[in-house]
Amino acid sequence: MNENLFASFAAPSMMGLPIVVLIVMFPSILFPTPSRLINNRLISIQQWLIQLTSKQMLAIHNQKGRTWALMLMSLILFIGSTNLLGLLPHSFTPTTQLSMNLGMAIPLWAGTVITGFRYKTKVSLAHFLPQGTPLPLIPMLVVIETISLFIQPMALAVRLTANITAGHLLIHLIGGATLALINISATTAFITFIILILLTILEFAVALIQAYVFTLLVSLYLHDNT
Amino acid sequence: MLRRMVLSAAAAAAPCLRNAALLGPGALQATRIFHTGQPSLAPVPPLPEYGGKVRLGLIPEEFFQFLYPKTGVTGPYVLGTGLILYSLSKEIYVITAETFSAISTIGLLIYVVKKYGASIGEFADKLSEQKIAQLEEVKQASIQQIQDAIDTEKSQQALVQKRHYLFDVQRNNIAMALELTYRERLHRVYREVKNRLDYHISVQNMMRRKEQEHMINWVEKHVVQSISAQQEKETIAKCIADLKLLAKKAQSQPVL
Repeated sequence: MNENLFASFAAPSMMGLPIVVLIVMFPSILFPTPSRLINNRLISIQQWLIQLTSKQMLAIHNQKGRTWALMLMSLILFIGSTNLLGLLPHSFTPTTQLSMNLGMAIPLWAGTVITGFRYKTKVSLAHFLPQGTPLPLIPMLVVIETISLFIQPMALAVRLTANITAGHLLIHLIGGATLALINISATTAFITFIILILLTILEFAVALIQAYVFTLLVSLYLHDNT
Repeated sequence: MLRRMVLSAAAAAAPCLRNAALLGPGALQATRIFHTGQPSLAPVPPLPEYGGKVRLGLIPEEFFQFLYPKTGVTGPYVLGTGLILYSLSKEIYVITAETFSAISTIGLLIYVVKKYGASIGEFADKLSEQKIAQLEEVKQASIQQIQDAIDTEKSQQALVQKRHYLFDVQRNNIAMALELTYRERLHRVYREVKNRLDYHISVQNMMRRKEQEHMINWVEKHVVQSISAQQEKETIAKCIADLKLLAKKAQSQPVL
């Protein structure tokens, strides 16, 4: 029973044991390892999808950036599968927790920035000043660019959290509205139910898109810095 | 050494300890038998091609078969309906907002699976088929290459059998050329010899002619020399007398 609206977002624990670790590790068993030359349908499709995505995502990177291939592909698979599994009823989505998203965003972003500073110090520092700024504006612009740099991990984490949480909340609310309207007027309830269906379709799309956006942005930061 | 004696004594005393005894450190080679079972890893048994049959996408067919003797065809369905109604009426499963989101999500999933499931399955099968076809292609290309090599070799061998024609023609050519050269030289020899013989003949002819002329000249000269003056006179007078006779004859003749 959900006492309040946000009960479904609490970290799940069964009899006082935090099972959120199990929930976070669960999507990985849905991706079997290809063990033979010709596999079953699930593995074939999974192989094909990963090949497609990785080719498209790593096309812009040079040799150094491509060492991040495993990281980026794992990232997109994890976020995508976690988001999609969270749409099932009575399930818990780890990516709704800001703590987890910050834990993903900050190390990745920091990794790209530190790589940039270590191997291409001058170019990385040059990013703080866009080309062709008039002389008196330079100090202010440097400050602004620094702020914009440090906001990147925050933006990554908060974007993902807010999108998924908002989606889940909306579904919850509109479901509740349908439930409440059934006794009052069945037609309105039906219309609300249609809205719910449309929203669910949107949420499926959002789940995938958010994963893609997250990974794409990390890859973009990487591209800037390698 | 002492340790080995102790170990062998222990082995004699308790046969079941023999394996352990023999494994004493620094003792005889271990004869304990490992891997008594079948090797479990290879070859990997083939996967079943299709999954087990299920009804309603969730419940295996075996469950229906299990209940069939006791409850017939409708048994499992009635059981399911009863369980659902029980949980609803006793509020074991509470209808909340989540129920509707569950209905919409699961309904959407079932719709998508029913509509696109087969085509996605075919797509996956096509991917596997492409992979196999690629490898098969390589294999076939390799076989074809080897087959071509075999055919080329065979044709080469057949050609070798027919090589003697070539040699015969060449031999004939050379024989003809030799013959030609021989005859040409023969002809030249003949011409040369004939030349020389002609030369000798012409030399001889010339000599004879010269001798004849010389002789005639000599004879003439001597004859002319031998005609003395008196003989000349007598000959001329005779000639005149003959001529006169002839003239008289000639005068008497034409009248007739």
